[in-house]
This record gives sequence, C-alpha cells and structure tokens, in this order.
Amino acid sequence: MEPKKAVESLSELPTMPSTIGTMVWNQTGDWRYLTPLVANKLAPCSQNCPAGIPIPSYLNAVKNGHIESGLTLLLAHNPLPGLTGRLCYHPCQAKCVRRKIDRAISVQKIERFLADLSTEVKIEKSEKTDKQVAVIGSGPLGLCCAFYLGCRGYRVVVLDPRNQAGGALVGLSPEKIDPQVLANEIRRLIRLADIKLETGAVINVDTTRELMSKADLIILDPTGLSEDFSAPVAAVAFNPFEDKTVTGDIIEAKLPKNLKPFKVPMIAHYIAAGRLMAQKAFDYLVMRSRQQNCAQLNPDLSRQAVNIEDIKIERFLASDLAAEAEAKQEGTWDRMRCLQEAERCLSCGTCNLCLQCVSFCPDASILLDEDTTAVTVDLDHCKGCGICAYECPRGVITMEEISP
Amino acid sequence: MKKVMMGNEAAALAAKLARVQVVSAYPITPQTVIVENLSEIIGRGELKAKYIPVESEHSAMASCIGASMAGARAFTATSSQGLAYMHEMLHYAAGARVPVVMVNCNRALAPPWNLYCDHSDSLAQRDTGCIQYYCADAQDVLDSILIAYGVAEKALLPVMINMDGFYLTHTSEVLDVPDQKTVDIFLPPYQPSSKLDVDDPKTFGNVCGADLFTSIQYKRHCDTLSLEMLWEQMAVKFCGHFNRLHSPVEAYQTEDADVCIIGIGTAAGAMRLAVDRLREEGLKAGSLRLAMMRPFPLKGFKKAIVNAEHVIVIDRDISFGAEGIVAQEVKAGLFDHHGNMKLTGFIAGVGGNDISVETIVPLVRQAISGKGAAVEAGTTLWADVLP
Repeated sequence: MEPKKAVESLSELPTMPSTIGTMVWNQTGDWRYLTPLVANKLAPCSQNCPAGIPIPSYLNAVKNGHIESGLTLLLAHNPLPGLTGRLCYHPCQAKCVRRKIDRAISVQKIERFLADLSTEVKIEKSEKTDKQVAVIGSGPLGLCCAFYLGCRGYRVVVLDPRNQAGGALVGLSPEKIDPQVLANEIRRLIRLADIKLETGAVINVDTTRELMSKADLIILDPTGLSEDFSAPVAAVAFNPFEDKTVTGDIIEAKLPKNLKPFKVPMIAHYIAAGRLMAQKAFDYLVMRSRQQNCAQLNPDLSRQAVNIEDIKIERFLASDLAAEAEAKQEGTWDRMRCLQEAERCLSCGTCNLCLQCVSFCPDASILLDEDTTAVTVDLDHCKGCGICAYECPRGVITMEEISP
Repeated sequence: MKKVMMGNEAAALAAKLARVQVVSAYPITPQTVIVENLSEIIGRGELKAKYIPVESEHSAMASCIGASMAGARAFTATSSQGLAYMHEMLHYAAGARVPVVMVNCNRALAPPWNLYCDHSDSLAQRDTGCIQYYCADAQDVLDSILIAYGVAEKALLPVMINMDGFYLTHTSEVLDVPDQKTVDIFLPPYQPSSKLDVDDPKTFGNVCGADLFTSIQYKRHCDTLSLEMLWEQMAVKFCGHFNRLHSPVEAYQTEDADVCIIGIGTAAGAMRLAVDRLREEGLKAGSLRLAMMRPFPLKGFKKAIVNAEHVIVIDRDISFGAEGIVAQEVKAGLFDHHGNMKLTGFIAGVGGNDISVETIVPLVRQAISGKGAAVEAGTTLWADVLP
C-alpha cells in the first residue's frame, strides 16, 4: 500500500484542494457499521419449485449462449427435465416477478428445449466407491434417488420387476408423454449417473436376501412398483419429507397422502422426494462408514430465500428488461425463441453481473473478481453506505451487521 | 461590427463568443433573457455546449462546478433570490478553485418584492471568495465576460460579473461586437492543470485538518489579492485586440479633484455628468467607479483618490444597522491614508430608484453644506425617503 504523503511547504499545496498521491492508505472501512453482503439467494421461482431448481442460474447460462452448461446445471438439480418440461404444473411461473411487468418467463418451455437437445453432456461425479445400493422400482422417485447416489460414487442398481422402466409413467397416453421421450430421459439419467438398470427383475424373498448380502442399502420406490407389490418384512417405512435419519438397511419410501396415488403433474415433487431420499441415504451410508464428508448434494438449495421486497422493479435499467418476444409457440421452442425468453429473466436473487453496484459505489469499493464471475466488496475501504444494496435490483446485496 | 443589443443579449453573446461548453442556469427576472438566448443559441447548434436545465440556482452552480472540474468552460447566470439560493455553492466554487464565470443581474431581495436594481444581492456574497466585477454599460458586460474567463482560468477562481437589473439587462445600446476569430486568439480553450480524470484518480474537496487548512486559505487569499493586477494585465491585452479598456477602477477627473464621488454599476454615467455639472459651478469634482469589488482594487483606488479632501460614496444597498457596503469598503481602503479626509455615505437608488444627475448634484451639495433633503440615519444619509 502506498504510504500517506505529507505536504511540507506552501509550494507543494495543489491549487485545487485535492489529494496528492493515492488515498489507498485511508482505510475508510473502519467507519463501516453495516456491511454489504453479496450472496445469491433462492429466487421466488426456485422457492416455489417443488424440486428447488435454481432457475435464474441456468437461464443466465442460456441467455449468455452457454446452452450446454445451462443443461448441465439443470440436470444437476433435475435429472428428468424432459418429463417436467412436459408434465409439471410449473408453479415456478406463478411466482415469476416478471409478471409485475408483462408476463411470467416460460420456464417450462426452456426446460423442455434444453431437455430435448441431443448433445451429450457430462456432470460432475464423485469417485466410485465399493459401496452398493439397490433401488427397487424405477419410477421418477427411484430413478432420481439412484441418480444422486450414482453421482456420489455409489454402485447403484435399479431393479424393476416390469419390462419397462418408468414406473407409473409407463402407462400414460402418448398425448401426455411420448414413450420415446420417456425412454430417452431414462437413458440419459442412467448414463450420466453411471448406474445399472435391470428390468424384468425377479423380486422375491430369495432375491431380496441375495441382494441384502451384496448391497449396503436397499430402497423401495412406491412410484415404480405396482400397488400389489409386497415389501420384504424387514423394510422400514421412511418418509423422505419428514423422517430425519435412515434407520435400516431396507427402506421403503413412504409418501405423504397428497402424493398418493401417483399424480402426473406433481412429478417434480417425486423428483424432490427422490433427491431427499438420496441425501438421507447418503448421510446414513457415510455415517456407517465413519466418513466425515457430509456435504449437501445441491449446495444451491441451502441458499437463503430472497425477500420479494428486495426485488426492485423500478431499479432495473430499461436496457436490462428485454422486451417480450412474439406469439406463443406450441411444442418444443426453437433455440432463438428460448434465448429471447431467457433474456427476459430478471435473475431475482442471483447476481448476473449487471454491475449496477459497481457503477453506483461512491468509493469504488465493489470489485469484479479476476475471473469476472462475481463481485466482491473491498472491505478495507467500503464505508457501508448501502447504496449498492439499494441499487441492486435483484436483492443479491444486503446490508448486514457483521462484527469484525 | 456594431449592433443594437440589451445587456442580457450581450451577456449571452459573450458566453457564445467565449465558446463555453456547459451552461446550467435557472431563469429569474431580470436574468431570464440570458438563459433564453443561450438555450436558443445552443438549440440552433450555434454553440457546441451542453445546456443543463436544473431545478434551482444551487444546482446550477453545482453543475457548473462539476463541469469545470471535468475541464469544461462553464457559465451560469442568476439574480437576487436565485443568487441568495446559490450562496453555498459560491463558497464551494471559490474553495474548489474552479474558473466558472457567472453573471448576476442585480435586483433587490424580498420582501417586500421588488424586481428592480439593487446591489444588496451581490454585495451579500462579498465574502464567498468569488471575484466581483460591476459593469457600467452593456459593452462592459460583453467585454468583461471575455476578460473574466481569461482571468478566472489563470487564477483558478470563479468570477461574478454584475449588471444592474433593467438599467443594463433590459436597455438597448449600440455595441461593438468582437469577431469570433479575434476572440479565439484572445481567449484560447481552457487547459485545466488538474481535473477529474479516471486515469488519474484524485479526491477533490476532501477533508482537511487545521494543519493544512490555514495554509490553503492563505494561498487562496494571496491568489485573490493578485487578481487586481491580473485583471489589469488581461484588460490591457484585451484592449490590444479590441481597443477598449476595462480596468478594475475607472476614474474620471480625479487628478485635481477636491471632492470625489464613488459608486458602482451604471450610476457611473450619471456620476460623470454630475462631475461636469459641478465643475461648471466651480467645484473641483471627480468620480470613481469601483468596477471590481473583490478583490478590493486597492492599488487603483489609492492612486485615484490621492488628492481628494472629501469622498462621497453612493450606495445602492444597505448593511442594516451599519451603513452602505461600498462606503464601508472605501473606509477600509482609506484607513491608513485618510489624513483630514472627510467621507459622506449616501444610500440612493435602492429597489430601482433612478440615480441621475438630479439625484447626485444635490447630494454632493448636501455633503458639503450639511443641508439637503437626504435624511440621516446613523452615519448614512438616505435620499428619496418619504417625509
């Protein structure tokens, strides 16, 4: 840091009262009472999504033309986007803040477009362990649970007594879901998580016992099993939405009443149930093997929800509010239409580097990171005036009382 | 080129000739014509400048300060209440050392409301640090604005050019309009030595402890004092181009004068006629117009006053409870020099009353004889007061 310069004679005084040298030495951060905290938060759409998908994050990627990373982000939170993109009742759109300006973002259309891309993407996985998990029933819950455990490095096998995977989704009319789409979605899920799928499996007391000897955990998926399927006696009923910890080696997912029997439009709830199940199974397996790593499967979900009052429509620059694209388009949207739609996303609670905070900071104390992916606050000089938090239209910056 | 123009038009034209880059002003009688003319000139594209419409005089000067700090030549104009509202920013402009040039159209301050000529508005800004110049006629308005930019940009101090409301602002006169080419030679573009620059960031107008504050104020005082000389030099240079001299002090028949009439603004014309009349009557009179009030042009003043025995000051203003402000200034200027000199201070022409030969001659007679219509109040004598 450059030291303070001292003026020692009249001739050194600048005519205009101004600094000589730099003012970096003057660490005005000492004056701060409230501290700006830059943190992404769950957007209203994500808050309302049963599966908690960080919608603004993947729309941001799409908007910037990074279609594949958009899909990767989406898949990491929802391994069956082709199904939700067609079947879900999209409560995300009901809470879209953009409705205050014109109309909600057609999240579902973009989701469907991404899901239908033929590009083969990869997602990050943990290293393979020798632990084995068997999931019986290949409904959306079982598949999702298998997916997350597969991504965590477990050797997962999904067993289905029927000849076709998909559980309750199999019998749907082709108008609701094209069997080809269902097959494609399942194929991608299996490939991404590197798991095994066995259809036409024989499930009885003997095979279960045999499974028990090989697998560390068996999970029964009610969305993938016929109602007359009788669970092994050893199975413990487990509600992924309520029960805190897994207590047995064979667990049967027990769904709350509103999800029974299987309701097609609520598919995202089953996906969420599958993920919760996977999280709890993971904790159980880790605990048993005395590993310390108990990280969250989806760290995004631990984000604090954004305050709806913090989304300030009037602070958005006109140039930031992309105009509404034209007429509706049925079926799968094309790339251009999706880009235009993603452009409209206000990115609530999610920093999209609009840099309004940087332009408004009177102390030039908000800096763009070197890799230009985020902004940080220069706490040595930030006086805590709060203008950045006031100007941030998306509620990413909040003023907090933080003890030094 | 000769042209018939009002003082306000002359002021707008001067800003145009000076090629100002930013104009920010709020209209007020009797200044409005200046603002209207400049907005039209800029609107027609005859002057490449930014016109910033503002909601107040405070903001007008603030924008000019900002513009000047960014290196632009800035101009504003106001009057009376507007000037009073601008007060804080005048201190700022002088303290920040920005060469903004402004015009003030002298008008009385309310209440009671009065739109006419009075010097109380600008003299109340005496201590803001702005240079103050009082014009005698419309030609003086045009020329002194050009000189003012030259002086301001050299000294880095703001200049306030004052013109009497209506006597100058709304009276048509024949003017000699300088041609743009010569003005450009006399007044080249402003080259700031220090300015707001993203590539060389500095903090301006920052906090300063007592250790440096005294020295900064001392330096500003010295620079302001040197301005009488600087104006004189710039005026001589101007005279070289345009053959008109506008000195900080304008003396008329003072060399052998026993009685010297002192005043500011347009009254100078009537004062000169009064001198002629009094000389015809056998009184050795002279007159002195203080064109510059800040800095007080001590050098020119002392030189002009040297032989007078009786000084008569006519103030178009009043410092309530004391006396006329110009009279106070003159007294201060005479302090180490007065000998047996007598001084009489009159208050005349406030709120737009005419100061004509018929006003001045009786006042001079009263000053000498002690008898007349002006009524005494403290150390002042008031003309035109109801019986």
